[in-house]
Amino acid sequence: MIERREKLMSYLVLGPFAIVLAFPFYWMLWTSFKSDIDLYNVNDVPFKFGKGSPTLRNYAFLFHHTQYLTWVKNTVVVGAIVVLITLVLALPAGYALARLAGRWGQNLGVGIFLTYLVPPTLLFLPMSWVIAHIGLQDRLLSLIIVFPSFTVPFSTWLLMGFFKTIPAELEDAALVDGASRLRTLLYVIFPISVPGILTVVIFSFSLVLNDFVYALAFITTSNAKTISTGVSTVLIRGDVFFWQGLMAATLLPTIPLALLYNMFLNRFIAGFTGGAFR
Amino acid sequence: MSDDRPRVDITAAQDEVTRRELLRRAAAGAIVLVYGGFGVKSAVAGAPQFRGRELKGTLRILQWSHFVPVYDTWFDNQYTKRWGQANDTEIIVDHVNQADLPGRVAAEAAAGKGHDMVALLAPAPQYEDRVIDHKEIVQEVRRKRGKMADVCVRSAYNPKTKKWHGFPDSYAPDPINYRIDLWKQVGARPTSWDRVLKAAPKLRAMNHPVGIGMSNEIDSNMALMALMMCFGSFIQNSKARVTLNSKATREALKFGRDLFRKGESNEIFAWTAASNNQGMLAGRLSLALNAISIPRSAENTNADLARNIGLLPIPAGPHGRLGLEHVMHTYMIWKFASNKKMAVKFLAELELKYRGAFEASKFYNFPSFPASVRNVPVRLARDPHTPKGKYDVLKTISEKYTKNVGYPGYSNAAIGEIFDTFLIPQMFAEVAQGKRSPDDAARAYQRRINSIFAKWRRRGKI
Amino acid sequence: MVAVAQARPRSRWRDLLEERRLLAAVLIGPAVLFILALVGGPLLLSIYLSLTDATGGTLRGHWVGLDNFTNAWADPNFRRALRNTILFTVVSQAVVLVCAGLIAHALTRPVRGRWILRFLILLPWAAPVPLSTIAWKWIYDSLFSVVNWTLVHDIFPGGHALYLYKVVNWLPFPFGDIQPFNPPQWLGDQTLALAAVISVHAWRIIPFAVVIFLAGLASIPTEVEDAAKIDGAVGFRKFWYVTLPLQLPIATVAVLFGVVFTATDMTVVYILTGGGPFNSSQMLTTWAYQTGINSGNLGEGAAVSLYLLPLLLVVAVLMLRFARKVEVS
Repeated sequence: MIERREKLMSYLVLGPFAIVLAFPFYWMLWTSFKSDIDLYNVNDVPFKFGKGSPTLRNYAFLFHHTQYLTWVKNTVVVGAIVVLITLVLALPAGYALARLAGRWGQNLGVGIFLTYLVPPTLLFLPMSWVIAHIGLQDRLLSLIIVFPSFTVPFSTWLLMGFFKTIPAELEDAALVDGASRLRTLLYVIFPISVPGILTVVIFSFSLVLNDFVYALAFITTSNAKTISTGVSTVLIRGDVFFWQGLMAATLLPTIPLALLYNMFLNRFIAGFTGGAFR
Repeated sequence: MSDDRPRVDITAAQDEVTRRELLRRAAAGAIVLVYGGFGVKSAVAGAPQFRGRELKGTLRILQWSHFVPVYDTWFDNQYTKRWGQANDTEIIVDHVNQADLPGRVAAEAAAGKGHDMVALLAPAPQYEDRVIDHKEIVQEVRRKRGKMADVCVRSAYNPKTKKWHGFPDSYAPDPINYRIDLWKQVGARPTSWDRVLKAAPKLRAMNHPVGIGMSNEIDSNMALMALMMCFGSFIQNSKARVTLNSKATREALKFGRDLFRKGESNEIFAWTAASNNQGMLAGRLSLALNAISIPRSAENTNADLARNIGLLPIPAGPHGRLGLEHVMHTYMIWKFASNKKMAVKFLAELELKYRGAFEASKFYNFPSFPASVRNVPVRLARDPHTPKGKYDVLKTISEKYTKNVGYPGYSNAAIGEIFDTFLIPQMFAEVAQGKRSPDDAARAYQRRINSIFAKWRRRGKI
Repeated sequence: MVAVAQARPRSRWRDLLEERRLLAAVLIGPAVLFILALVGGPLLLSIYLSLTDATGGTLRGHWVGLDNFTNAWADPNFRRALRNTILFTVVSQAVVLVCAGLIAHALTRPVRGRWILRFLILLPWAAPVPLSTIAWKWIYDSLFSVVNWTLVHDIFPGGHALYLYKVVNWLPFPFGDIQPFNPPQWLGDQTLALAAVISVHAWRIIPFAVVIFLAGLASIPTEVEDAAKIDGAVGFRKFWYVTLPLQLPIATVAVLFGVVFTATDMTVVYILTGGGPFNSSQMLTTWAYQTGINSGNLGEGAAVSLYLLPLLLVVAVLMLRFARKVEVS
C-alpha cells in the first residue's frame, strides 16, 4: 500500500520536472527541422511543421558547409587530454592531501579549491599574453594547457574528500602485509577509487565543454575551434542568426553525452561517497 | 624482532626506487606531450598550409562573418588567394562572430601578438596607441582615386593626434526598409518623421507596428542617433564639446516617446540586432531602419515578401535629412604585426579595385573611396529583384545622407564608449517608458557624457 | 640485543615520517606548481592592472592606487551588478536546492521508466552552456518566444480549450496579468530579464545537484535505513527527520559548487541579455567584461572583477566550515 503510494509520489515529482527540464530540447528538435518560411512566421506553431518543413537542410548545412565535425573532434580531443592531465596532477595530490599531509593538508586542499573561485574573465587577458608569448596562439595546445587551471583545483579537492572516505585500515593492512606505498596505491587504492576517477572525468569534461572565454580569446583559426566558438562564428552572422542550425548544433553533442552520463551514473555516484563498503 | 629489520629496509628501498620511477615517468610523459603537441600536424598545429607553391611571406587577417556568406567565400577563397599568389604571400583569413570580436581584439592587443590586421565594424579609437598610422594607405589610394568619403574620414582620423587610427575599406548605408503594400494601405510613404508618426497608429492597429528599436544593440543605436540628428540634436559639436542638452534633444526624445506610445509594441526594449530583421521577415513590422540585410534575407527565403520591401532614405526631420552609416568596416594594422608592408599593400589594392567586394557583398559594402567602384548606379540598377531599381536609392543615401557616428565631430574614443555602452537607446527608453521626462533625461545624460569626454580628454585622445 | 631492538622502532617511525612528508610534497607539488603558474601569475597581473588606468591595448598604465575600486563603487551600474550577482546566485541556488532535493529523493525509488526520466533530467547539464544559452535566447525571443506561444495558445488538442495564460492570471501572483496580444518581454522587461537569467542558471545546475544529492542519499548507511523503517518513519517523516539531516553536508557541497558556477559565470548573461535591458541584468563578471573590453577601460574592468573574489572566498570558507561541522555531528 505504502509502496504504491510512494511510487505514485515519485512519478508525480519526476514527471513534471522531467518535462520542464527536457522541454527546451524537445522544442529544439522541432525547430531544427523547420524551414525559414515556417520559422519566421508569427502564426507558426512550434510543434507542427508548416510550409517547407520538415527539412534536413539545416543539418546538411552543418555537416557539409561548416567544419562542425572538426570542431566536435577538437572539443573531444581537448577534453580527453585535459581530463588526462587533470588526473595525472590531481590524483596524487588528492591522495597525498588526504593521507600524507595531516592537518596542513586539509587547509592546503581548501586553499587549492579556492583558486577555482578566480573567474576566467579576470584571467583571460594576462593569459592571452602568456599564450601568445609561448607561441601557442590559435592552437588547441593553448587550451590543453590552460583548461587544467580550473579542472585541477576542483578535482584535487574532490579527490581529497573522496580519499578521506576510504578507510585508512585498508592501506594499513596492505602495508603491514609488506607492500610498498606505491604498490598499495596501484593494487589496493586505485581499483577502489575508480568511482572517484569517474567523477573527476565527468566533471572535468563538462567544465571543458562549458568554456567560452578562453576558446574565444585564444583561437580564431577555423579548424582549431571548439564547438561553441565555431558554431557561433558561422551560424551567427552579424544580425542574422541561423536558429535552426544552432539548435541542431546544440542537440547533436548533448544527446550522446546525456546517454553516457546516465549509463555511468551509478558508478559515478559511488565516487562521491567512497563506495568502499558498497 | 629479526623479522622487522628486513621488512623495513625493503620497504624503504622500494619506495626510493618507485619514487624515482614515478618522477622519471612523469618527466618523460611531459616531454612527449609538449613536443608531440608542437609537432602534430593537425588542428593542434594551426591553420592548414596552402597547397601548392610555398609562398614567401604570410599575412594574417581577422574579421567578422559577413552576413552575406557568399562574400566570405569570395574573400577567403578567391580574392585573397589570387592576391597572395601575385604577391608571393600566403594570406590566412580568420573569422569571429561580430559580437565576440572586441574580446578577441582586446586579447591580441594585450598579448602583443596575433594577426597582422583586424577589422571591426566600427572604428576603435581606444586602440590608437597599438596600431600604426594608416596615412600611407589613405594617401596611396587618394592619389589614384581622389577623395575619401567624408563619413569615413571623420570615422578613422583623429584630428588631435593627427593620426589615422584605422583604415575603413567600406561602410554600409542605412536605408529605411518599409512594407510597400502596408504603407499603400494607409495612403502614405515614410518620407518624413512626421508622416511616420501619423501613420504609425494606423499601422499598429493592423498589427504591423513600426520597428525603431530602443534596446542595447547596434540597430537601436544607429536609428536613434540618426533620429536625433534629423531633429538637430547632436552629442558633440565639431570641436568635440558636448552639446547633448539642447532643445532639439528634448524634441527628439518627445518624438521617440510619442512614436513608441502610438505605433510600437514594447518588444522593442528587448531587441537584439536580429530582431528587426526577424520582425520584418515574419511580415509583422511595417518599417525598420537597417542595412540591406533585411531585403537580402527575404530574397532568399520569401520572394513574395521581398517584393513588398522597399528602401528609402532616412525620413526627414525638422533639421533635415541626416542618417548614419550602419557599419563602418575598419581595418587596423597592429604595431606589432610581423608583415606590416604587405598589410599596407593589401589594403591599398583592395580599395583601389573595390568592384569585386562591392558585388560579392551584394551592395552591402560601399567603398570608402567612392571612385573605387565605377558605374555604381548601373550596377545597382542591374539587380534583378523586384520592384526593379529598388537598390538605386542606396547611391543617393551613401552620397548625401550618410554621416559618421559623432557628426559633426569625429568618431573619437568618447563617442566610441558612448556607442559601446548604448547610452542613447537607454536615454530614449527611459523617456519612452515614462521613467524620466525629456528635460530630466537630457540633463542627466549630458552629465554622464561629460564625464566620459573628460576622461578621454585627460588621456589626451580628444 | 635489547638495546638494538629498542633503537629500531624509533628509526622506523622517523623514516616513515620523513617519507610521508617528502612523498606528500612530491605528489602535491606538481598540482600546486601548476596552479601557481597558471592562476597565480595572471591573478597578480590582474591585480596590478586594477591599480592602474590601463586602457584597451596595453597591459600597462599609470598608477592610480585604489581609484578604480572607489570609482566602481560610486557607479550605480556596478552596484546593480553586485546586487544582481548575489540575487542570481541566491535565488537560483535556492530553487536548485529544493528541486534537486525532491528529484533525488524521488529517483531513489526503482520505478519503471526511471532510466528515461533520469536521462531527460540530465540533459540540461550535458549541453554545452554557450550553445544551450543561445537556444534559451530564442526561447525567450521578443517575438517568437515559445514560452509566450505556450502561454497564449490553446494547448489542449480537441474539444475544450486550455489557455495557460488564463490559468496564470487566475493565480494570485503579484505581477500584472498576461495579455495575449502583448505577451511578456522576457528579455526586455527589467524584472522579467532577471527571472529569465535565474531560470537558465537554475535549469542547467539542477541535474548537477541531483547527481550530488543522489550520491548523498546513497551514502546513508543501511543501518540507518533499517532503523528508520523499524521506527515507522516513512515518506515525509523519514525525509524530514532522517534524510535531511544526513544530507546536510552533501547539500552544502552541492550548493557551494552551484554558487561558484553561477557567480563566476559570464556566458549566460553575456549571451542571453548582454547585460540588458540597459545594464539592469549585469553581473560582476559581465560588467567587468563590458567595462574592460567593450569600453576599453582595462584597469576598471579588472577592479570590478576583483570585487568578486573576496565575496566568493568568504562564502566558500563559511560553507566549508559548516559542512565540516555538520559532518562531524
